[in-house]
Amino acid sequence: MRSLLQLALASAWNRRLSLGLTLFAVLMASTLLLSVERVRQAARDGFAQSVSATDLVVGARTSPVQLVLYSIFHLGEATNTVSWQSYQSIAANPAVAWSVPLALGDSHRGYAVLGTTADYFTHYRYADKRPLQFAEGRPFAGLFDTVLGAEVAGRLGYRPGQQITLSHGDGGLAGLEHEDKPFTVVGILAPTGTPVDRTVHVSLPALEAIHLDWVGGAPIPGMSIAPEVVGKFDLAPKTITAFLIGLHQRAEVFRIQRKINEFADEPLLAVLPGVALDQLWQTVGVVEQALQAVSWLVLAVGLAGLMAVMLAGLNERRREMAILRSVGAGPRHILFLLVVESFLVSLFGALAGLALVSLLAVTLAGRLAAFGLAVLPLAPGAGEMQLLAAVLVCGLLVSLLPAWRAYRLSLADGLIPRL
Amino acid sequence: MTPPAIRIDDLAFRWRQSGPLCVRLEQLTLAAGTSLFLHGPSGAGKTTLLNLIGGVLLPERGRVELLGRPLGELSAAGRDAFRADHLGFIFQQFNLIPYLSVCDNVLLPCRFSRRRAARAGDPVAAAGRLLAALDLEPALAGVPAAELSGGQQQRVAAARALIGRPEIIIADEPTSALDASRQQGFIDLLLNEARAAGSTVVFVSHDQRLAGHFDEMLELGAAA
Repeated sequence: MRSLLQLALASAWNRRLSLGLTLFAVLMASTLLLSVERVRQAARDGFAQSVSATDLVVGARTSPVQLVLYSIFHLGEATNTVSWQSYQSIAANPAVAWSVPLALGDSHRGYAVLGTTADYFTHYRYADKRPLQFAEGRPFAGLFDTVLGAEVAGRLGYRPGQQITLSHGDGGLAGLEHEDKPFTVVGILAPTGTPVDRTVHVSLPALEAIHLDWVGGAPIPGMSIAPEVVGKFDLAPKTITAFLIGLHQRAEVFRIQRKINEFADEPLLAVLPGVALDQLWQTVGVVEQALQAVSWLVLAVGLAGLMAVMLAGLNERRREMAILRSVGAGPRHILFLLVVESFLVSLFGALAGLALVSLLAVTLAGRLAAFGLAVLPLAPGAGEMQLLAAVLVCGLLVSLLPAWRAYRLSLADGLIPRL
Repeated sequence: MTPPAIRIDDLAFRWRQSGPLCVRLEQLTLAAGTSLFLHGPSGAGKTTLLNLIGGVLLPERGRVELLGRPLGELSAAGRDAFRADHLGFIFQQFNLIPYLSVCDNVLLPCRFSRRRAARAGDPVAAAGRLLAALDLEPALAGVPAAELSGGQQQRVAAARALIGRPEIIIADEPTSALDASRQQGFIDLLLNEARAAGSTVVFVSHDQRLAGHFDEMLELGAAA
């Protein structure tokens, strides 16, 4: 076996140009396949961990996916609000360790404005329970302070100290600007790869303040309350959109969930974010499947090239095979030589692909954060190992046709090829 | 008493079931250590006969016995192993694997047969000795076979057939690509080395002028 392997290597080296090109094709195909898998995994993990260490997301009664969509991803509108009293009564439950209220509705140049408390910056977790970090500045303290997500600040070029104004609603209607009450940027968050990056954070009282002289979604004509005097009004929020809850004991999550779902004063819904995020991912998973299908096609093209090169080379190798037979090689040895060759091409192609993907992951890690892939893994996951194995198996299968043909040829040719 | 090197009885072979007979041989017995000149016109089935003796093809009828072993009783893998152990081949041309060095080409049979390697003693030294005996410079041993002239290639092929002293050496028109003066030299070298190794030689050629070098002669008739 060892001497056969040496022969296979010497023979492959003799045809290194065509085999090298084939190896390159397999390398590119497996690189594509593996990087799609890795990005897919990272996107999925990033998505599933848009919020972590939060036991329950609570909002007005709707569907779980809907609740997560608007409370975590700030997509779509809440159908109903939660009263401040309900929030306070649930937050006061002794099982609840912490709670963070979320109020949505306004926007700034297309980015959602989130009204919350300073607790948000201490309790919100993403990925594997990573806390939010400030790239610059600090949490909001004053009434008209705002903290920007990384993408908001990056795209719009905001720096701490700059002033911005909020738009009412999603900003689709011109003229509905809260321009009389500008906010000062006091902090910018580090990139997270989650919807936090695309969010403008303000305090709950600030949201009350900018809507003091508004009613029914429009400014009250002839009425204007200057920012300097809003402190004289009661700025305690009356309603919020949703809130996050962390419990002392994880084990109590189902009890508390049931308690909230049966809340008497108001129809509420509490969901476990992980479960709802999984459901949500299944609806956007079509894209990932399409990507994967394309990379399998590329692999198929690469392996078809390998098969073509091997089949085309067979005629040239008939003399080689006849000589080997004359010194005692059986047809099975010939079969072995061809299978070994394509196995080695697939193996080296796949391994080089893995190395290339890992290299790319290391060098591009920083830049990928901009695409919401802050947590691109450096080490190959189990899924990638399965793909590598699949590449090898496919490489072996692809070699069977040329190997079988070589087997037939060497049987038919005997010791003297009739060319 | 040692069995004959080759014994063939009532042999018949055809490529296609309904096709004409390609080889028809009533009887052939070749004692160990002798040399046979086998000749016949093109299409007489010389090459097919060599495939039958080599155990690569099986006869339709009759039996081929080498060193007392009937080939028909061996499995395909058994015939491959038998060929590796006891037979050396030299072909008309393209004998060598071009990407292997001269020395590695000579050593090929030792890769497939432990018996040949053992009989060669130190295979690399044996290869060097054979190459020297066949008038090849030692410096050529490491050169890729593709860089050799035709005459040199045939002598390397002879060294490969001889290494490990196989009992039977089969040469299929090994001299037809050589000019007349080199033909004589090649045959002398081959027969001398075969005699030294105690090998039986079957030499196939359509050129009857070469017959004088050999102990026995057999004419293969054109296929009916």
